[in-house]
Amino acid sequence: MKKHPSRLLLLAGLLAVSAFAAFEAGSFAYTKRVETKLLAEPKPLAEASGKLAFAHKVKVEEVQGSWLRVSEGDVSGWVFAGNLAAAMPDEGAKLDNVSFMASKTTASAATRGLDEDVVKYAQQRNLPNAQADLQWLQDTAAGITEADVDAFLQESKKGEFQ
Amino acid sequence: MKTRLPLILFAAALAVAVVPAVRALDFGKITKGLNDASKIIDTGKDAGKVYKGAVGIGPKEERKIGAAAALELIGRYGGLVRDPDISRRINLLGRGLARYSSRPSLDWCFGVLDSSTVNAFSTPGGFVFITRGLYEQAATDDELAGILGHEIAHITNRNALKIVQRSEAASGALSLGKKYSGDVRQASAVVDQVGSMLGYNILGLVAKLAESGFDAPTEFTADHDGRDLAATTGYAPGGLRTVLVDLQAKGENRKTMFSVHPPLADRIKRLPDDPASPASAASDGKDQPAGKTQ
Repeated sequence: MKKHPSRLLLLAGLLAVSAFAAFEAGSFAYTKRVETKLLAEPKPLAEASGKLAFAHKVKVEEVQGSWLRVSEGDVSGWVFAGNLAAAMPDEGAKLDNVSFMASKTTASAATRGLDEDVVKYAQQRNLPNAQADLQWLQDTAAGITEADVDAFLQESKKGEFQ
Repeated sequence: MKTRLPLILFAAALAVAVVPAVRALDFGKITKGLNDASKIIDTGKDAGKVYKGAVGIGPKEERKIGAAAALELIGRYGGLVRDPDISRRINLLGRGLARYSSRPSLDWCFGVLDSSTVNAFSTPGGFVFITRGLYEQAATDDELAGILGHEIAHITNRNALKIVQRSEAASGALSLGKKYSGDVRQASAVVDQVGSMLGYNILGLVAKLAESGFDAPTEFTADHDGRDLAATTGYAPGGLRTVLVDLQAKGENRKTMFSVHPPLADRIKRLPDDPASPASAASDGKDQPAGKTQ
């Protein structure tokens, strides 16, 4: 059965809308990343018009597909809906960010080995192969940068690049 | 929150109970000083466990717990598939999803376990694993995203961590109870296993993850949240359901597939009947077959 492209686009649009149904003009949302850029246009590569720190409450002024125009005081701009949360991030997410920032300043992810306690645990449990595998996985994952993830999303038209 | 309040109250009550012991030390029963101090330190550790169980475990500890549990899972499931292309693909896809989750700052990593069984796991702190058997079942990126989204949801919902916290609180309370009332004799199997290098019940957690699994409502919530995350990121929201339906059609059942998850039919019934890959179809029909690297 051949599917008509316009029907598929409509379907994809409806699905995108349903995924972001929590956000509508006049509602409120919260930033959930260490730093959230507000863009001048609803496009991923648009110029930044401002930025907000973690857990800022913003008002949703306008919705365009998966993009929201939000404001906080005098600052306003466009944000991909996936970068906002419908509810205030919890304390755990805040601690994630503190830990994330600390790790950025102490050592690059690529140079971090397994935690000393985890190594001791592996030794105590006699899991040398699993330890080597986990170290390999951590190294491999650390070798993939945020820029790589950006490029992947852009190439596959996912996230804000949809 | 409902479960925390009694624990917090209990912790507060225990703190009050400890005060006389502290006073005894302050007034200097010198001859018994060392023994008393030792008891108080132990009491502090036990109270600390109750506190952690009540108010939470920090990200560094969560990461250690998750890494230790990951070691156990890797050991149980034949080690990791050390294929750089597969690893890169699953990490790019997984981190692309995790970026839009409620915990984007976690140090996420995704691995494939070298086992022909069909299953997926996640441990606290951002470790997600899928078996080779399930990885090969996922025909498209949309389906893989559905599976990973489900596991990411378990971490963002702190499902495994809550088990550790409950176990921790129970362990601390049990120990304190033994010391101060002498009439607590019940110890669950989970609590009995406490005492690993990290001071947490890693084996109990892994047994829960790999053998008994989360309860059905927790799994249904992870299905729902994972579907939403996949859709937010631009993958077909029907990806996970498609995998489940395919496995059901192949005659897979609880014993061989997602054995620690609720029955397939129950999960399928609760997921909306979304198309398998509208997002990719809408973008010129380009889809990414599983196993093909970017």
